Amino acid sequence: MPIELYRAAFAYPDGSPALSSVTLRVGDGERLAIVGQNGAGKTTTVKLMNGLLKPTHGEVRVDGVLTTDRTTAQIARIVGYVFQNPDDQLFASDVRTEIEYLPRHLGWPDEMRTERVERAIDITGIRPHLDANPKDLPMAIRKFVAIAAVLVGACRYIVLDEPTAGLDARGLDLLRSMLDHLRDDGTAVVTITHDMRFVIDTFDRVVAMADGTVIADGRCADVFADDEVLHRARIKRLIVAQIARDLELSRTALTVDDVVALVP
Amino acid sequence: MSTATLAEVAETYRHPESLGNFLRDRNPITLLVALVSLAVVAAAVPGLITPFAVCAVFVLLAFAGGVGPAYTATYLKLWAVVGFILFLLRALLLDGEHVYFTFGNLQVTAEGVYEGLRFAAVVMAICGAVTLFFALVTMRRLMLALEMRGVSPRASYVLLASFQSMTDLGATAKVVLDAQKARGIETEGGLITRAKAFFPVLAPVFLSAMTATEERAIALDARAFNSPAAHSHLVQLPRTATWEWLAAGLFAAVATACVMGRFLGWL
Amino acid sequence: MALASLRDVRFTYAYSDRPALDGITLEIESGMVHGIVGLNASGKTTLCSLIRGIVPHFHKGELEGSVEILGRDLLEWDPAELSRTIGCVFDNPFTQISGIRETVFEEIALGLENLGTPRAEMIERVERVVEQLGIEALVRKNPNGLSGGQRQKVAFASIIAMDADVIVIDEPTSQLDPDATDAVFGIIADLKAQGKSIVLVEHKIDLLAEYADRLTVLRAGRIVTTGAARDVLTSDELIAAEVPVPEVTELSRRLDAIGRPFVRTPITSAEAAAAVSARIQEASNAH
Repeated sequence: MPIELYRAAFAYPDGSPALSSVTLRVGDGERLAIVGQNGAGKTTTVKLMNGLLKPTHGEVRVDGVLTTDRTTAQIARIVGYVFQNPDDQLFASDVRTEIEYLPRHLGWPDEMRTERVERAIDITGIRPHLDANPKDLPMAIRKFVAIAAVLVGACRYIVLDEPTAGLDARGLDLLRSMLDHLRDDGTAVVTITHDMRFVIDTFDRVVAMADGTVIADGRCADVFADDEVLHRARIKRLIVAQIARDLELSRTALTVDDVVALVP
Repeated sequence: MSTATLAEVAETYRHPESLGNFLRDRNPITLLVALVSLAVVAAAVPGLITPFAVCAVFVLLAFAGGVGPAYTATYLKLWAVVGFILFLLRALLLDGEHVYFTFGNLQVTAEGVYEGLRFAAVVMAICGAVTLFFALVTMRRLMLALEMRGVSPRASYVLLASFQSMTDLGATAKVVLDAQKARGIETEGGLITRAKAFFPVLAPVFLSAMTATEERAIALDARAFNSPAAHSHLVQLPRTATWEWLAAGLFAAVATACVMGRFLGWL
Repeated sequence: MALASLRDVRFTYAYSDRPALDGITLEIESGMVHGIVGLNASGKTTLCSLIRGIVPHFHKGELEGSVEILGRDLLEWDPAELSRTIGCVFDNPFTQISGIRETVFEEIALGLENLGTPRAEMIERVERVVEQLGIEALVRKNPNGLSGGQRQKVAFASIIAMDADVIVIDEPTSQLDPDATDAVFGIIADLKAQGKSIVLVEHKIDLLAEYADRLTVLRAGRIVTTGAARDVLTSDELIAAEVPVPEVTELSRRLDAIGRPFVRTPITSAEAAAAVSARIQEASNAH
C-alpha cells in the first residue's frame, strides 16, 4: 500500500505557509529523490509522510489510513525517518544497544529481534563499530548508525534527509550499496538531497519542488531536460550534461556515460 | 527584502535605540534602582496602605510602559497563587486575641488576617518590582547598560548565554522528541509510555549541549572574543540625562530614609 | 612570506594514541586558495586547526616538528592575536551563532565589537557583507531561530566581516543548496581577488577544481600529494586517496580509456566545453 498526499498543505501555527498544495504518491518499493531550494517545502513534505506533521488542509494517507488518525510513532513503524543530524537520534552508550533499542522497546521475540538487528547491521556496514560509543565515531559512521537504528524496525518506507551531506567517497559507496540492498528487499526510499550527481546516479524518479509545491515529478531524464523546471527549482544538471546541451550534442544527456558516447 | 530595507535596518543602529516609550527608554540601571526602592519602601513602612499602594503603582507603571494588559495578567496570577497562599498561611497559623472564627484547631484572628495581608502585600511588592523590571527591560539592554558602566563583556556573555541556552535546550528537546517519534518510539500517551521515552529524549539533548559548549568556545574565540582591545558596541542606549540619575538617587534616598526610620523607630 | 610552513609535523591529540597528522611537510603560500581534500578523518580539520592555532593552544596534544605561521613559530604566537589574524569558519553551523545577539545584523557585528571597531565603520562593513552574501532578508531575524543553511551563511558573513587577511574555511557549504553554495564560492573568489589567502576544506571537488589554486590531498594523517590544482586533479594519487575526480576530468579519463583522449585533460567546465567544442569542429572539418 502506498503513501498518498492529496492536496496536502501545511502552515505553521503562526500562519506562515510551508506547503501550499502537494499531491504525490509513493508506491511500495519505489525510490525517489525530492530536490529543490532550501525553503521549497521538501522537509515539510517528508514530515507529512510519516506523521511528524499533520496536514492543515488536504489529506495524507499511509497504507490507506489518514495520518491524522494515528500517532507519529505508529506511522513511523511503517515510514521510518532518518534525521539529517544523527546526534538528534542517538542516545545509547554503545552502537549495539542503540540498534537493539527499538526491538526491545516494542518487545519483539528474541529470534525476530536478532534477525532484524543483524540485517540492519549488514545493510549499513557498521559491524566493526558495534562496541564503540556512537559519540566517539566520526560523523559519517554516526550517520549509518542512525540509519541502522531506524532500519531495524519493520518499516517498508524509509525517508533519508540529506544522506550525502558530509560523506566522503567511501561513505557514498556504502550509501549506494545500502540503497541497492533496500531495493532488493522491497523497502521504498524517499530522500531529500542537494546532490544532483547522487540523484542522477541512484534514482529513477525525481520530484522537483519550489514555493511549497511540486513543479515536476517524473523520470530523471525528463525532469533534467526541462530548463524551466531546473530554473524554478534552482537546481542544475551535471556539468558535462550541461556542456553537451550547450554544444547541441543532446538535450537529454544525463550522466557522464551519456556524454562520453556523444563526444565525437 | 530589498537593499533599501537593509539600509533602513542599518540606519536604526546609527542612532540610540529607542523603544518609543518614555519608561522603557530609561536607563535599565536607573529603572532598576527606582523599582527596587519602591519595593524597599513597601517593606519598610508599616501598615497595609503602603505595600498595597506600591503594588498598585507597579500596575500603573506597567500601563505607562505599554505592557499593561500582559503585566497585569501575570501579576494577578502571581497574586492569586503566591499571594493568596502566603496570606492563608499567616492568617490561619498566627495566634491573636481577636478571634473571628475557628475550625478544628485553626483560629482565624484579626491579627492573623492583618499580618497575612501585610506579608502577602510586601512579598508581592518585591515580586512586582522584579517582574515589572523584566517586563520593561530586555536582558540584552540591561547587560548593555552594565557593560557601559564597566561590567566585563565576559560576565555579560555568561549571563546572556545561559538565558539563551535554556531556550536552546527546549528547542533541541523538541527536535530530539521528533527524531525519536520518527524512529517509532512512542512519546505520546500515558505516564508509562512517556517515562519509557524519557531517556532517549534526554540523553541526546544533554550530549549535544555538552559537545556544543566546547565548539562554541572555539567559535567565539574566532570572533575575537578574547581580544584585549576595548570592545565597542553596535547598539547604543539613549543618553542618560542628569535628571534621571538624580531621580534614581532620590528614590534610593527615600528608600534608605524609610529603612533607617524603621530601625530608629521613627516610623 | 608563506602563510604557513610545516616541517615534518606530527600531532597526536591528548585523548588519542594515534597521530592525527604525521610526517606533514607543507608550504602554504599567501594570496591563494589552497584546497584540502581527503576521506573523512584523514586529518583535514586538524590541519586547519593547526594553522589557526586551535591545536595545540585549545585542543591539547603532542606536537612535533616545526610550524611557522606568517613567519613566526606557532608556539610564539599569542592565541588571541592569532585568532584575530586568521579568520576561521567551522563546519558546524549550530555552534557558531553566539546566542547572545537578537538580530542577524547584531550577530554579524559581534566580532567587530570585540575588535573595538568604531560604530560607523562597523555598520558599513556589516551592510557590505550582507549584500555580498545576499542575506538581506535575514538581517532583522533572531539568529537563534534560523535553519542550518541560514546559520551557515550568517557564520560565514560574521567572519568575512572581520576582514582578516587569512581565512580558514572548513566545509562552508555542507548545509547549503546549490544556489547558496555558488554564492559562497563567488565570495571566496572575491576574497582572493582582494589579495586574501584562503585555506578551504571542501568535499565538492568540482567547485574546488574551479576555484582552488593549489590542493593538498590527505590520507590517514599523511600527505598523499600536494601542488598546483591541475597537477593534483589529473594525478593518479587522487584516485588512490579515494577522492573523487571532477566530472569533467572523469569524462576525459573515460575518453582516454576508450582511446579517444582530449589533447589536454580539462579540470574546469570552461576547459571541458572548449575541448568538446574543438572535437566537434574537428569532426565537422573531417566531413
